Amino acid sequence: MEYDTYPSCSLDARRQAQAGRDNIYLPDQAIIRNIIRENSLVNTYELTLVDELANHRFSFQPGQFMMISMPHLGEAPISFSSSPDGEDGFSLTIRNSGRLTAAVQQLRAGDIIGVRGPYGRPFPADRLEGKNLLFVAGGIGLAPLRPLIEYWLSRPDEAGNLTMFYGSRTPEEFCFNRDFSRWEQNGLNLRLTVDQTAEEWDGSVGLVTSLLDGYTIDDETMALVCGPGIMIRFVFKQLQAMGMKAENIITTLERHMKCGVGICGHCHMEEKLVCIDGPVFTAAELPDPDNP
Amino acid sequence: MIETQTLHKDYLRPLLRKLGKQYRLVGPVRNRFGDTLYIEITDLDRVDIDLKHQPQNSLKSFFFPQTEPLASYIVDTEPLSPTQLYSFHPLLPENRPTLYFGVRSCDLFAVLYMDMIFLGGKHRDIYYEQRRRGAVFITLGCNEPFANCFCNATRNGPFLEFGFDLQLTDLGPARNSYFVEAGKANGVKIVRKWARFFTVSTKEDRRFQYQAALEARGLFKQLVHVDLACQELEKGCEPEDVLTDFSQRCQDCGGCAFICPTCTCFSITDQARDQGSGERIRSWDGCTFAGFTRMAGGHNPIDMRRHRIRKRFFHKLKHDVQKHGRPSCVGCGRCVDMCFGGVDIIRFINAITEAGDLGRGKKRGV
Repeated sequence: MEYDTYPSCSLDARRQAQAGRDNIYLPDQAIIRNIIRENSLVNTYELTLVDELANHRFSFQPGQFMMISMPHLGEAPISFSSSPDGEDGFSLTIRNSGRLTAAVQQLRAGDIIGVRGPYGRPFPADRLEGKNLLFVAGGIGLAPLRPLIEYWLSRPDEAGNLTMFYGSRTPEEFCFNRDFSRWEQNGLNLRLTVDQTAEEWDGSVGLVTSLLDGYTIDDETMALVCGPGIMIRFVFKQLQAMGMKAENIITTLERHMKCGVGICGHCHMEEKLVCIDGPVFTAAELPDPDNP
Repeated sequence: MIETQTLHKDYLRPLLRKLGKQYRLVGPVRNRFGDTLYIEITDLDRVDIDLKHQPQNSLKSFFFPQTEPLASYIVDTEPLSPTQLYSFHPLLPENRPTLYFGVRSCDLFAVLYMDMIFLGGKHRDIYYEQRRRGAVFITLGCNEPFANCFCNATRNGPFLEFGFDLQLTDLGPARNSYFVEAGKANGVKIVRKWARFFTVSTKEDRRFQYQAALEARGLFKQLVHVDLACQELEKGCEPEDVLTDFSQRCQDCGGCAFICPTCTCFSITDQARDQGSGERIRSWDGCTFAGFTRMAGGHNPIDMRRHRIRKRFFHKLKHDVQKHGRPSCVGCGRCVDMCFGGVDIIRFINAITEAGDLGRGKKRGV
């Protein structure tokens, strides 16, 4: 085996000059403009950076995430859930699942949180252009896919057919259901399914994988999958069984992170770091699920 | 061309005294408990500089302290306040030019690894950079490797070929002096500025140094096939038995990660001072802790001890080879001394290369 030396890390003057400016660990302040209740556990927060200049410069790409801070509670990584074309700020969709996110649920419009980012490798826009896009989502897994849906629906000339299969436990738990009719009008072929049937529900019942049965896959199709880990695993399996290449199946992962920029080591996944090498990965890039 | 000199041992302290006026000094000191530790030296006359034993700590904490505040924050807690406030103020460490002397090859090599982690990516860590800038290293080659050393197998010792400002080699009791190689600009500067302490080396000095370095390679007590283990892991080897053994013996103390000079994982937490203010603290973390990968809501992608132990060793011996071209173990052997359960990298490597006893026998080393 060849043992190379480590690449030298220069501490030159230019970098020294920059050092005072860019402290990666310091959050900016963001103000909550509006809160939209998605379901009993999930809210979408529309945010704007308080610093006007920073807000003006701010941009992100679908698939990236922000580290959000709450007083005394630390930070958590949250994916963008709004269109990257938005003029004023961005949205984060957050489920009440721990101490920090429980505190987020108590916030009201006008409150301030800390944010830093955007971080992470986005969805590959160049690979998606002109392709038929199949979105498969479960629960809050739709949140990181929503910027992509908005992006491609607003560029009908550059996109192929857009289809989405979206599953939820109950009809009440669908996120972004206010968007559904607009998305359909703009050309999204949308099919919903629920795990448990309900009285007012006349749609399909069953796992999201059951919706895949009637779908035909060609070489011009790319799949974008996000939801609970077990759902992702089964959808991957089924899409590959249907003849889809692993490199055409894309997902975005969730991991415990502290820095978000490739230093703290928490999100190591084999030789990759989810924060900088991901969170967007193709099925071909992911390790064997039995040895995480 | 690397300039070579010799330095009489009697001149080491006077030289350090001079350098101590320009730099903060850090070196290996034996304390009254008989421990040898790298510490900051404020008074050279009152410490027992120990260039004989392996320091128990590495230089890690000098650049990346076990806990450090990153920022303070203030929160406006007034419920009906018209101007909400939640802002952060950096708490940057002081930039103090520091001379690290008596540094062992493994420990300097580990600093070069840390440079890559903290400064080598797209986002640099300015807390690390602040401490790293202005650091000068006088290393000491190891004529006699210590009980658990295997830096010959990780190929970063017992003598260095690059990375040091000055490298010293003990030329033995008869000569009572050090052979001195200047590797970088700061080393050359020191030799030029304090030329009166140094003597230009002779051919014989050079031959003696070469001989010492050669002999040192034959004095390792541990036979560890690091590159063979890396090759096996690259080929897809999954050492199930040793991981099962280790997972029963690991006590989740994190000692291996904390003592390891190249374990750089950290956590960031907020500590409230009062309702309206607090500090954001960074502290060492370890991938062998159950909470290391646990997410909000309790889901943990790496939730079994054997997976965590696997992750730790695979990171050092497989993933860093894939990423950086070499393993990130520097062969210092400290994790062997640290773990009473024998969950150490030598035993792991030996299990893969089938040179070991799977650790059921008595503990190696001292």
